[in-house]
Amino acid sequence: MNSKHRFSLLWVVFIVGLAVLPFVTPGTYVIGVMCFVAFYATLACGMAVLLEQAGIFSLAAPTFFGLGAYVAGILAAREILPPWAGIIFAALVVAAIAYIIGAPLLRLRGYYLACATFGLLFIVEIALAQSGEITGGHDGLMGIPPLSVVGFTLRGDFHYYFVSWVLCLGCLWFFFNMMNSRVGRAIKALHDSEVAASSVAINVPRFKLKVFVLTAVMASFAGSLYCFYLQFTTPSMFGFPLLVELLTMIVIGGATTLYGPVLGSVVLIWLREAIHVYLKGILPKLTAEVDAVFFGVLIVAILIFMPEGLAGGLDRLAHFGRRLLGKSA
Amino acid sequence: MTLLSETVQYAISGITAGSIYAVIGICWSVVYLITKVLNFTTGEFVMLGGMLTWAFHTMGFGLPSSVLFAVACTIAISMLLERLVIRPIRFPTEMTYMMLTIASASVIKGLVLLQWGSESRRIEPFFGSGVIHFFGAGVTPQVLCVVAIMTLITLGLHLFLNHTLFGTALRASAINQTGAKLMGIDIGRFRLFCFGLAGGLGAVTGIVTAPITFTGYEIGLLTGLKGLVAAIAGGWSMTGTVAAALALGLLEGFGAGFVSSGLKDVLALIVMILFLILQTISFPGLRRR
Amino acid sequence: MASQPDSVLLDVQNVSRSFAGIRALNLVSFSVKRKKITAVIGPNGAGKSTLINVITGVYIPDSGGIHFGGSDIAGLPAHIVASKGIARTFQLEELFSSMTVIENAMTGCHGKTGSGMLACGFALPSARREEKRIREEAMECLAMVGLEEKALEPISRLPLGERKLVGIARALSMKPGFLMLDEPAGGLAGHEVERLVKLIHRLIEQGLTILLVEHNMPFVMSLSEKIVVLDAGVKIAEGTPEEVKNDERVIKAYLGQEL
Repeated sequence: MNSKHRFSLLWVVFIVGLAVLPFVTPGTYVIGVMCFVAFYATLACGMAVLLEQAGIFSLAAPTFFGLGAYVAGILAAREILPPWAGIIFAALVVAAIAYIIGAPLLRLRGYYLACATFGLLFIVEIALAQSGEITGGHDGLMGIPPLSVVGFTLRGDFHYYFVSWVLCLGCLWFFFNMMNSRVGRAIKALHDSEVAASSVAINVPRFKLKVFVLTAVMASFAGSLYCFYLQFTTPSMFGFPLLVELLTMIVIGGATTLYGPVLGSVVLIWLREAIHVYLKGILPKLTAEVDAVFFGVLIVAILIFMPEGLAGGLDRLAHFGRRLLGKSA
Repeated sequence: MTLLSETVQYAISGITAGSIYAVIGICWSVVYLITKVLNFTTGEFVMLGGMLTWAFHTMGFGLPSSVLFAVACTIAISMLLERLVIRPIRFPTEMTYMMLTIASASVIKGLVLLQWGSESRRIEPFFGSGVIHFFGAGVTPQVLCVVAIMTLITLGLHLFLNHTLFGTALRASAINQTGAKLMGIDIGRFRLFCFGLAGGLGAVTGIVTAPITFTGYEIGLLTGLKGLVAAIAGGWSMTGTVAAALALGLLEGFGAGFVSSGLKDVLALIVMILFLILQTISFPGLRRR
Repeated sequence: MASQPDSVLLDVQNVSRSFAGIRALNLVSFSVKRKKITAVIGPNGAGKSTLINVITGVYIPDSGGIHFGGSDIAGLPAHIVASKGIARTFQLEELFSSMTVIENAMTGCHGKTGSGMLACGFALPSARREEKRIREEAMECLAMVGLEEKALEPISRLPLGERKLVGIARALSMKPGFLMLDEPAGGLAGHEVERLVKLIHRLIEQGLTILLVEHNMPFVMSLSEKIVVLDAGVKIAEGTPEEVKNDERVIKAYLGQEL
């Protein structure tokens, strides 16, 4: 009970901070960057739940993010469906794809599952780039209209700031509830011991597939919103560099807690901004691949020196602090 | 071109690609079997070999010395990777190993991009640019050279692993690390050696293929992945890897020729995924364990 | 099966299972009566754990039949077997090490509950009510094994004896009709074994049927009403403790060991 209280207090502070942020920062720069944080945090959380809680070694998060963006984007740009319907349709398509791919793939273990999903990442990226007539090819998909829902059109960073954070916090809330319920326990159980999980009537393959499809759908929602926010997408946005970024967020934040990946994405996105602002003069180009140099070094350094990540470190610090307080009281 | 000459042409390019994948696949499995690290920098070593040779060559060194420098540098980088990145890890799991090598791969790739830009680079062919014709298909000496060198490497490794004391000890520690340790084998040295070997072989592969296929900062991952496909499909054994690599190369050669060259890379990855799925399908009575 | 007397809960008929050509179980047959303690004993490698794994669906028998409460369960997947009311513990604990004691017990309630992923994620009232019920039931099971005070401890902080009890509590929270204990006394100190004996008697009084797989002879002899002896995958004797103790083949199999 006590730990639950502490949890809600931290979140209240965080949410209040998010809510006042647009009113205390000048211009839209900070808010624009925080939009990216929200999209990435949603994605990183889903991936962390898969990797750490369920022990499903899947690297397919960027793929589902990209598919969500492209399906919704294409439908809206070609005026086949209104944007909001496109988002829902994209989620359904991604759920179906995740289900069809996941059913056979999730029987793979460890490295093999990672290899298969890593392959998937490249397959989708190349396929998107090659089918130019539908997707716009290498140059990207243009002409995506802004998102409008019942006559209200979302425009600018300010609107997307709220929508993206509502999505992100919604997903976190969902994960938090789920991980503290019978479904979450089943997921943790199948990671700890599959044979024991099935001995208490947990259908292991089914729960693996469920959580895989769930995170895919969340990634799809984030991707669809992302494409309406940017109003254009290219295949390379959903490739290897994004995977490295996601891994960095998870490693920075630590995947054992739900807030770890959120913390990780805040740190990573702002680090990226700092690199872009301060190193503009020194570095000749600033592509995602150049950013990945910094992130790669960060991953290695953290895994060597701080394997539990920031969240793990903070937890230990808090534990230490409580013990100090407890002693003095 | 007649159908025959086309077929011959595609077969040649398939065998060339296959021989390359075979050596890269062996790089993966040498490291994987000894260290249990799935080394995603393997492809970057291939890229480094080509790019470093090009860089030394444009700096004014002769081709032979550039090649030597490039191979030496790649081996050094590979060994440093093992010492500085892989070894210090306190809680080694498959996941951390994979994150580490993926991170290292992106660092190498990004640094090469920063240093030498994103243009494709080409090394001049080692033996001139004439074309030998047979059955209406053309073969450059460089292609023959690639196939020959790759075959030599494979045979040499085979002899080394099966007919030298060091090679036998290496194979033994791949099968049973504890047993090997008890026999007084220094596993740490082996791990270093395997990374060095993978780096060197990768670099050589990258160098000999650079005159045919061009090289550039971004070729590493996909080239490496195809080697991984061969290694997985070949069951991590040397013969298996070579067979799988040749099959994959031919499939790609004909796929690119008769179907579409754009989707050639996807083909290999789809083969990998299908193969992995096939492995999980077991037969009645063997359903679990 | 109508031909069987009502008192038989589990009926194992001519079950065989091989691993890589080695027959771990060879035409083993026996039955377990309701509300009784049946024990399976045998020297190391006799096939005791394989037997449990075949009954619970971890392994599929090569041949033979397994009937539980009249229905055929041979070859069914483990989670289906579990949902029919067969609970088990493991020789090597196999607890959920990332969870607390009570969460382990709560996971045992999985099969008897039905809230879906969406209901749980959106914290619907039905899911919350169910969660509360699960927590109460799990607490009852912990109280039964005497661990209610350690409910919030992580598994890693418990000593071996208590970890074994958590395994039993997890199995009990499935509300099973049939409980299989795989070496429950292994590695326990004397007073812990006494506690375990009391617990098992209490469970039988409550109407549970128990199959005990053990190594600890005095423990088995004092508890069981029927003993099945396995050696090298073959059943060599079956009967009351007295009968088994005086069986020549059993004495031979256990040559040099105190019975």
